[in-house]
Amino acid sequence: MDFTYDDEQKALQQAVRDLAGRNAPVEQQGDQPVGPAKHDPKVWSALAEMGLIALPFAEDLGGADASAVEVAIASAELGRARVATAYAEALVAAQAIALAGDDQQRKELLPPLLEGESLVVPALSEPGRAWSLDAYDVTASGAEGAVTLSGTKEPVPFADAAERFVVSARVGDKTGLFVVEASDAEVSGQRVKLSGTPAKALGALDDAPAALAAAVNLGILTVSAEALGAMDAALPMTVEYLKTRKQFGVPLAAFQTLTQRAADMYVSVELARSTVLFAAMRLAEDAGDSETASRLKAVTGQSGRHVGQEAIQLHGGIGMTAEYAVGHYTARLTAIEHTFGDTRHHLARLAAGLRDHEQVEVLAG
Amino acid sequence: MRLQLSEEDAAFQQQMREFFTTKVPADLRERWAAGGEPAADDIRLAQKTLNDAGLAVPHWPTEWGGQEWSQLQRHIYLQEMQAASVPPPLAFNANMVGPVIATFGSQEQKERFLPGTASLDIWWCQGFSEPNAGSDLASLRTSAVLEGDEWVVNGQKTWTTLGQHADWIFALVRTEPDAPKKQMGISFLLIDMKTPGITVRPIQLIDGGHEVNEVFFDNVRVPADQLVGERGQGWTIAKFLLGNERVGVAPVGSIKRKLADAKAYAAATKSGEGTLLDEPLVAARLAELESQVAALELTVLRVAGNSKEGKPDPASSILKLRGSQLQQDVLEFIVDIAGSASLEWASTSDSDGSDLATWTGHATPTYLNFRKASIYGGSNEVQRSIISSGILGLKG
Ligand SMILES: Cc1cc2nc3c(=O)[nH]c(=O)nc-3n(C[C@H](O)[C@H](O)[C@H](O)COP(=O)(O)OP(=O)(O)OC[C@H]3O[C@@H](n4cnc5c(N)ncnc54)[C@H](O)[C@@H]3O)c2cc1C
Repeated sequence: MDFTYDDEQKALQQAVRDLAGRNAPVEQQGDQPVGPAKHDPKVWSALAEMGLIALPFAEDLGGADASAVEVAIASAELGRARVATAYAEALVAAQAIALAGDDQQRKELLPPLLEGESLVVPALSEPGRAWSLDAYDVTASGAEGAVTLSGTKEPVPFADAAERFVVSARVGDKTGLFVVEASDAEVSGQRVKLSGTPAKALGALDDAPAALAAAVNLGILTVSAEALGAMDAALPMTVEYLKTRKQFGVPLAAFQTLTQRAADMYVSVELARSTVLFAAMRLAEDAGDSETASRLKAVTGQSGRHVGQEAIQLHGGIGMTAEYAVGHYTARLTAIEHTFGDTRHHLARLAAGLRDHEQVEVLAG
Repeated sequence: MRLQLSEEDAAFQQQMREFFTTKVPADLRERWAAGGEPAADDIRLAQKTLNDAGLAVPHWPTEWGGQEWSQLQRHIYLQEMQAASVPPPLAFNANMVGPVIATFGSQEQKERFLPGTASLDIWWCQGFSEPNAGSDLASLRTSAVLEGDEWVVNGQKTWTTLGQHADWIFALVRTEPDAPKKQMGISFLLIDMKTPGITVRPIQLIDGGHEVNEVFFDNVRVPADQLVGERGQGWTIAKFLLGNERVGVAPVGSIKRKLADAKAYAAATKSGEGTLLDEPLVAARLAELESQVAALELTVLRVAGNSKEGKPDPASSILKLRGSQLQQDVLEFIVDIAGSASLEWASTSDSDGSDLATWTGHATPTYLNFRKASIYGGSNEVQRSIISSGILGLKG
């Protein structure tokens, strides 16, 4: 096992860092907008131009033939600079199309998505329902070629900027994947209302669950790496603040109770880093390794919560403001925790599989 | 020791419950329960309703509207108020400046300010913190210089909660710059917010709300009779005030209310064929929080009984420390129950275009907002120092 980046990966990291730096919110220039990220077509084009959306997909699909590892490298840089985009959502949609779609669907749908021309996002969450890969309340009906979907998906992040959706829907007692044109659905904010809306089945029904799981695994990796980047930024900001902020005539760093907690934050960040890098390598080999994805989400979820909360606390009041970056990192980490299933969801998934192994093995034989 | 409420206390509890649930308008209580940024008019109306019934300031001296209640009755009163989602009387008035004026003020100041403070006809804000005087409050620099019979105030306060609604501010100012210890040079001054030279600038918080402000003083002239107590006595008064704040600050009733809400939300959120309340990890967390909140409530009851002559028992630091932690834990749990629905914020989305339950849209901003609870009113680190040095004798 080797956790170091090769030269190409280092170059990618630097390139994304530069790109993210150019598109990052400017610090100390008044209040930064709060709340869910909005789609910014300019930033999105920049990502696409650098080929970041295409990274993990095969060349014949319009991809860059890199892997999940490169996705994690890129996403961490976006997280570090607080550039929140539809990156994870687009990758989930693209992976679902790549894995479940038939040849024609891949040829038609993937290139414009990977090139940043038409945004496709997954529509999976259902109002009043806990996160699940199974659809319950959105149902599909009609024969092949004349399928329609009914029900509501919400929240669908970036729905208002998307051209089409990859929708999970109930078919009998199974969950299938469907492609819906945004113009055929009723979209308002993050809600997508479907009422007899025409849809195209994405590949065969029986392949859908595995494809969806693998697609969401890639999404989990992408947001977890973004969380790592956010933690990687929030920790040094906090350390710097402890060195410079003075109370009682001394820098806060003179209070051991605070420096020890910064040390605990460091521990959390490093554990998250190891887990992200490991999961990236694993998912690059086997996109369907949901156990690794769940373990990743649980570890980064707990680290993110710890680091986000402590970053604010050690800053005191200033950490609570919209003007100062640290609270925004915490807000983003909180959103990530609730994207693609929270820690508790993934722990439950892991709990269900405890009898399948005696110990967790990280070294592949 | 005694387990049951006495007949008298049970009747008192009934009386409080009836008052809060019938006399304070239901729509107002619903808005308060829903969360989000509180409307100033709701706070005003609630306090006026309570005050008209003699229930706004029960812990004040009786001649100024207080009640001769036992500690247990005060607890029941707070508990029932919070359980009914009644906005509590404004802390700056009821728990901070009111008791200060009643204890340290002149007869004239009491007559001038206490009735309006109880009724909220005067809305007070707290001008203690400054950019460089947070935990180290005694290093504050806003100055007041006596010129004739006026204090001339210059400097800046910050984090002034709800200062945008305030009629008056009570401020700590430095009146004796040459005092041998910095704590000795501070005085407690009452300032009309309409006085020329005061500027209020909003600070936006991470939840998007505007509840705190910076307040700037530029040659603000304050009549000398608005200084409370003696010149240089401000630090003693501030310690008295912060002690009261700590006792008043464990919002056990509202934590219990929120936790009950959380349970209802979990039961209303479908998961597979059942609900989130059927999920073992969710149920276990709920059971854990209920046990922890019960332990806090019992400690509130036990410790409140111990405070002597208005002096807070050092154990009251437990209440602030654990109270803020549990408040934060419950709000965090509510975001978890909302799950992906928490990604949409009520304040930035249009509710007509949403099928999500209203509470989910408040979950994340409220959670983020209440990270403040372990920072203000003496941060949790400060509370731990009080416990370790004041109780355990471990001088750090
Ligand atoms: C939402 C909000 C509302 C507020 N409302 C008001 C108000 O109405 N009026 C008002 O006057 N003030 C108000 N405050 C200010 C509040 O009291 C201060 O934020 C608080 O005193 C902490 O000060 P600080 O923010 O400057 O942090 P700092 O004092 O700089 O502290 C930063 C960190 O260091 C820790 N720390 C500091 N000193 C020590 C030490 N000796 N040992 C160990 N740890 C230490 C702190 O606990 C914190 O974690 C409010 C604050 C907030 C966030």
